[in-house]
Amino acid sequence: MALFVVFQTTFFLTLLSLRTYQSEVLAERLPLTPVSLKVSTNSIHQSLHLQWTVHNLPYHQELKMVFQIQISRIETSNVVWVGNYSTTVKWNQVLHWSWESELPLECATHFVRIKSVMDDASFPEPNFWSNWSSWEEVSVQDSLEKGILFVFPKDKLVEEGSNVTICYVSRNIQNNVSCYLEGKQIHGEQLDPHVTAFNLNSVPFIRNRGTNIYCEASQGNVSKGIEGIVLFVSKVLEEPKDFSCETQDFKTLHCTWDPGTDTALGWSKQPSQSYTLFESFSGEKKLCTHKNWCNWQITQDSQETYNFTLIAENYLRKRSVNILFNLTHRVYLMNPFNVDFENVNATNAIMTWKVHSMRNDFTCLCQIELHGEGKMMQYDVSIKVNGEYFLSELEPATEYMARVRCADASHFWKWSEWSGQNFTTLEAAPSEAPDVWRSVNSEPGNHTVTLFWKPLSKLHANGKILFYNVVVENLDKPSRSELRSIPAPANSTKLILDRCSYQICVTANNSVGASPASIIVISADPENKEVEEERIAGTDGGFSLSWKPQPGDVIGYVVDWCDHPQDVLQWKNVGPNTTSTVISTDAFRPGVRYDFRIYGLSTKRIACLLEKKTGYSQELAPSDNPHVLVDMLTSHSFTLSWKDYSTESQPGFIQGYHVYLKSKARQCHPRFQKAVLSDGSECCKYKIDNPEEKALIVDNLKPESSYEIFVTPFTSAGEGPNATFTKVTTPDEHSSMLIHILLPMVFCVLLIMIVCYLKSQWIKETCYPDIPDPYKSSILSLIKFKENPHLTIMNVSDCIPDAIEVVSKPEGTKIQILGTRKSLTETELTKPNYLYLLPTEKNHSGPGPCICFENFTYNQAASDSGFCGHVPVSPKAPPSMLGLMTSPENVLKALEKNYMNSLGEVPAGETSLNYVSQLASPMSGDKDSLPTNPVEPPYCSEYKMQMAVPLRLALPRPTENSSLSSITLLDPGEHYR
Amino acid sequence: MASSCLSPGVVPLLLVLHWKHGAGSPLPITPVNATCAIRHPCHNNLMNQIRSQLAQLNGSANALFILYYTAQGEPFPNNLDKLCGPNVTDFPPFHANGTEKAKLVELYRIVVYLGTSLGNITRDQKILNPSALSLHSKLNATADILRGLLSNVLCRLCSKYHVGHVDVTYGPDTSGKDVFQKKKLGCQLLGKYKETIAVLAQAF
Repeated sequence: MALFVVFQTTFFLTLLSLRTYQSEVLAERLPLTPVSLKVSTNSIHQSLHLQWTVHNLPYHQELKMVFQIQISRIETSNVVWVGNYSTTVKWNQVLHWSWESELPLECATHFVRIKSVMDDASFPEPNFWSNWSSWEEVSVQDSLEKGILFVFPKDKLVEEGSNVTICYVSRNIQNNVSCYLEGKQIHGEQLDPHVTAFNLNSVPFIRNRGTNIYCEASQGNVSKGIEGIVLFVSKVLEEPKDFSCETQDFKTLHCTWDPGTDTALGWSKQPSQSYTLFESFSGEKKLCTHKNWCNWQITQDSQETYNFTLIAENYLRKRSVNILFNLTHRVYLMNPFNVDFENVNATNAIMTWKVHSMRNDFTCLCQIELHGEGKMMQYDVSIKVNGEYFLSELEPATEYMARVRCADASHFWKWSEWSGQNFTTLEAAPSEAPDVWRSVNSEPGNHTVTLFWKPLSKLHANGKILFYNVVVENLDKPSRSELRSIPAPANSTKLILDRCSYQICVTANNSVGASPASIIVISADPENKEVEEERIAGTDGGFSLSWKPQPGDVIGYVVDWCDHPQDVLQWKNVGPNTTSTVISTDAFRPGVRYDFRIYGLSTKRIACLLEKKTGYSQELAPSDNPHVLVDMLTSHSFTLSWKDYSTESQPGFIQGYHVYLKSKARQCHPRFQKAVLSDGSECCKYKIDNPEEKALIVDNLKPESSYEIFVTPFTSAGEGPNATFTKVTTPDEHSSMLIHILLPMVFCVLLIMIVCYLKSQWIKETCYPDIPDPYKSSILSLIKFKENPHLTIMNVSDCIPDAIEVVSKPEGTKIQILGTRKSLTETELTKPNYLYLLPTEKNHSGPGPCICFENFTYNQAASDSGFCGHVPVSPKAPPSMLGLMTSPENVLKALEKNYMNSLGEVPAGETSLNYVSQLASPMSGDKDSLPTNPVEPPYCSEYKMQMAVPLRLALPRPTENSSLSSITLLDPGEHYR
Repeated sequence: MASSCLSPGVVPLLLVLHWKHGAGSPLPITPVNATCAIRHPCHNNLMNQIRSQLAQLNGSANALFILYYTAQGEPFPNNLDKLCGPNVTDFPPFHANGTEKAKLVELYRIVVYLGTSLGNITRDQKILNPSALSLHSKLNATADILRGLLSNVLCRLCSKYHVGHVDVTYGPDTSGKDVFQKKKLGCQLLGKYKETIAVLAQAF
């Protein structure tokens, strides 16, 4: 027993010591230090991949451990990340862990170290951290290719709105490097002389082809190169919307959803998001090939409840939505078929259709829509398989469209698609009488009645109106009636009726029958009742008309008018108890006058004109101005008149006229007021308020003044168009007086001249006879004046000629007389060459010798031998000389001097004939009168003749031709010869 | 007869004539003294066709270049000299004063180089710029003409000068490059193409 106790004690002690030893051994070997740390890089994901093992792990034992990892950048002291990684570690297990760097690995050297601690419940406290492993350096820069500039990360894929760090590595620190994002420079933080990092916060999505980010190295202004990267920014994956599933045949579930934005990127950097359907009860999964729908095959194991999860996924994100439903609650029926109509008549039809059978006890709820005449009616009906519905209260001759859709009546999910068909109801007789009106033109002996009717509305026509029947019945002679059928679509007809009363019935007819008749009576009395026209004002809504009720019974009133410019008669029926109405139509145009006539319809259906009204829906300003005539113009007034101006054909009621007057005077005339024209000029204005007053006397004007006038009509909308002013100038105040005096004077002078002309012979004989009477000569008075008793005047009768000496003139001597061109030779044939001054023998009464002298004064031919007053003119003589020589003054002067030389005191005014003494030398001794005479014919001084020079011949016109006239008078050729 | 068609000299030619976009594997090297054999007789006016094709390429090169760099976005359009300069390494040389045979051989090398490069560019742009249809169309048209030109040059070399083999180099493989580098290399290649094709059109 003692031995047993000793043995037991020894066993326990041994066991205790073994346990103690074991604990000591574990305590010595722990902490378990990570060893064989290796770090690799993944440039695409910019991640460090760590792998290590843990030594000293017990064989076949799993321990839960925590590893603390420390990552430094550029230098070990610059720790950028510290974190723990917990895992269960087996003996000899290689552990893996990754860390993604926000800074591209190529831009900085990274250092990694790790330590661990046991975190296993089987090993009670105290646990403590192992030592750090040695730093593991990771540098990717060394693997860069040749080049002076590198930009990282390459082709990185990020999500819109995320933060991205990019960096560049410049081999030459002398280079100045600038970086740009979409052309806009970005600024970064220099990590070391070669490396600069840029933090781009919340990068935007620009395009699915990626965003170019580039850096340019330069020295001074010299570019050393451009390098860049393309950053692919993806849109954020959205959660699918409106996810639902349904079945039409209990074989296939059709699931649909709204996918939202497509996150596909160019360069195959990211395809469109994928969609996967997962059903949790069956555990089945299906990758959907379409982005917005997917079909799921229903298995035959009668699964009723489904729990679907739709998973959307791209490279960056995963989204999912879930629905749970019972299959029988998601029945979407196929649309009904065999839709048809039976027993279609004018107002009823039966609609039939079929639905696809789902199961035996299946009940459908169907909805029917009936569209027609712009209206829609809806009916619901429950059916099994074959549907039928009675459509009533339909309109005749109307096309309808009926359609039907159905749904599961027990668990309504959604309506099926519509199935429809058109049908047309049959025609019926028109249900309403046509609206008829008339216009009557009374002529001697008959009436011309024009009937108008409005086409029946489709509602009342009940079909296509084929013709109208017009029955004309003579009320005075009832036996006579006439039927006229007028084919549609005519809406009027003309009747010529005699002076009897007529009843006219109009019906509209379609293929089924006639409408009720519309009756109108034309009385025998002419409709020439004088009714005063009243002006009314239209409004935007039309014309508001009111009238006095017709005495006696009326069945209604009719207002008619003409539409312009179509000139179509329009009318409106008004009830018997109404005495006002508003005529409103879109046909009313501004500036058009509308005439309304209001008729009362008696119980005998005879229309009686009650009132006339006229007005404009909107008055406009006059379109033209009157043509103004100015008359009765005096020095102080004139009259304006525009009688031809029509006030009726204007786009508004002419209310009067404005007369504008412009003058130089600043003050306006009485009755005129100052006004300013549209061009800013001032003038005077006179307003005429009576449109029929079309004349105005403008008075109080100044003589010899200019005025401008302008007359324009005005309506309530304004004046007529602007136009030019008419100028009026008042005459001189004395001019009329002068006219009053001068006209009679001129008349008197003319009268005297006419008398003188008519009595010229008498005057000539009286005042200046051809042969002067010596006894009447002034010489006689001169002699008497000198009182010479010895001198006597020889009496002609005393002279008895002894002989007659005939001196013949050379033939051919011709002198053309100016104007007549008649030679003197011809003239002389009828006249003696000499005047027989001596008395014939039987007449001889005087005893003394007779002196006979030749009187050249009366011999025109004498001039051919030369005239001293005329100087032959050399063709080369200057015109000035000619003028001197031939001027009438010179000639007259010369002649006057000759008179004086020869006759002394003989007054020149006593005779018109100038006597020239034969003894006198008219020209040679008169050098003063013709001092410039260059050529003086020598024989002129020798020529002595007594002649009379008719003034009309001696005084040529003082023109340049005057010399020629002289030459013509005295032919030079002849003269020189 | 079949054995003659598949002679060592013809296989590389067929490969070149039917290259696909991005076909970057080098042609197997054939002996220099390999016989030249072609399946179809060459056209009579080959040189005229070659000239015409060169002129056609020269006429469209600038438009292609503009379309390309515009589609790449900034900074390409405004930094052509820095990003799209014609400094392409390994581009086959061309000596305009050489003999026709030498010029045709050099032209052959250049067209092969351009063909592979354009194939890479077309592939890259279809992925990167799927909506740039005008650019794709222009690239495809250019590649088509280059293929025709290559066929004609080969025919000429074979029929007249009995050259059955030409050592060629291909454009750089851009598949491992990042997107920006692909854009840049493509732009440089098209810049070089525009410059070279003008010289070639002038030389023939």
